[in-house]
Amino acid sequence: MNEQTTQEFDFKDEMIDEKITAQQEAIENEIAREQKLISDLIKLDSLLDEYSLEDTIYRSKIIELSANFSLVRKTRGDGNCFFRAFGFRYFEAIMGKPDEVKRLKDLANKICTDLNQLGYNSFTVDDFKDVFVEELERLADKSDVKLLEEIFNNPGSSDYIVVFLRLIVSAYLQKNADFFLAFIETYQSMKEFCSHEVEPMYKESDHIHIIALTNALNVSVGIIYLDRTDQTEATPHNFPEDSNPNIFILYRPGHYDIIYKN
Amino acid sequence: MTTTARRRLMRDFKRLQDDPPVGVSGAPTDNNIMLWNAVIFGPHDTPFEDGTFKLTLVFTEEYPNKPPTVRFVSKMFHPNVYADGGICLDILQNRWSPTYDVSAILTSIQSLLHDPNPNSPANNEAAQLFRENKREYEKRVQQIVQESWLDDSDDESEQNKNEEPK
Repeated sequence: MNEQTTQEFDFKDEMIDEKITAQQEAIENEIAREQKLISDLIKLDSLLDEYSLEDTIYRSKIIELSANFSLVRKTRGDGNCFFRAFGFRYFEAIMGKPDEVKRLKDLANKICTDLNQLGYNSFTVDDFKDVFVEELERLADKSDVKLLEEIFNNPGSSDYIVVFLRLIVSAYLQKNADFFLAFIETYQSMKEFCSHEVEPMYKESDHIHIIALTNALNVSVGIIYLDRTDQTEATPHNFPEDSNPNIFILYRPGHYDIIYKN
Repeated sequence: MTTTARRRLMRDFKRLQDDPPVGVSGAPTDNNIMLWNAVIFGPHDTPFEDGTFKLTLVFTEEYPNKPPTVRFVSKMFHPNVYADGGICLDILQNRWSPTYDVSAILTSIQSLLHDPNPNSPANNEAAQLFRENKREYEKRVQQIVQESWLDDSDDESEQNKNEEPK
């Protein structure tokens, strides 16, 4: 009798988990239908359509931004948007530049060695690195935006690049754990933080991810914060702080898109 | 159709064959690389010793970005295994990393048999006995160990039972 009730209870518990998962998947599928992983180029002022006329804070900030920025690519809101936006824009910035491509390739190999030393399975890590480097090398000698768009809109290659960027962040944070531990509150160790907040796909990114990625790759990125704070201008924030980036990402609460300077 | 999921599963299979971990085995079914059968042998020095526990792993095209659904097909009595064979294990849920492969999944489940986590129970009775009455817990586990030798024939019906009618 007693056994019966516990078992039934367990089963219901499981059903709730499954229902939540099913609902989550339905939402994900809808987003996937409506939004490409990386959109075509669109005009910055087309973002105005997303806000009502009364929404003066956003509208005036977008209008002010258009003095220096004119084009945007939207990314799918799947929790990977920062990594995907960064990956696309970085590949775009270095395609057709064999020296820069080689620098990134060498760095990717070095990061794999770091990951092995941290105890990661080289068999699976190399799988992601191989795809990352293969796709990168297709762009080594030519500036081909069509090909770049194809690579980042194909879920197979695009997601593998995102995974590898996440691993780069994880390796960097774990190697520099002494410094970064001060910024994480709810986790006991950097390894634990990375396995919950960095490595799983679809986990959203925060400041700490951006700092780690830009440091690990030695790339400068400007994030334009477009939010409801009471200023007339969107706030730019460069990573690292004193740098002069040519890669820009537009942040609106909860989401990152690519934005292009004039 | 070659996809990253299928390519990776072929590599996972090759690695399982080249470098087989102790006490686990697994292989894709004949006509479907997305559906695997696996066996975990009960680890030594645990009440599960000598058991041969069968599992199924169902992969989607999103593997390895999303974990497979793993279930025990053999009857199980364990604090972290649901009545329908589903497994409550963090790496199969919120702590999944694309760097895990089939070999890592199976060895993690094997260590779960070794070290149950009674704080997040999927089977309250097993969790309670594990905490409060080890002797009875071990007795119940030994029953399913013996049953694990017998259930060769009824895999099919077990599997059908787990599928929800749509």
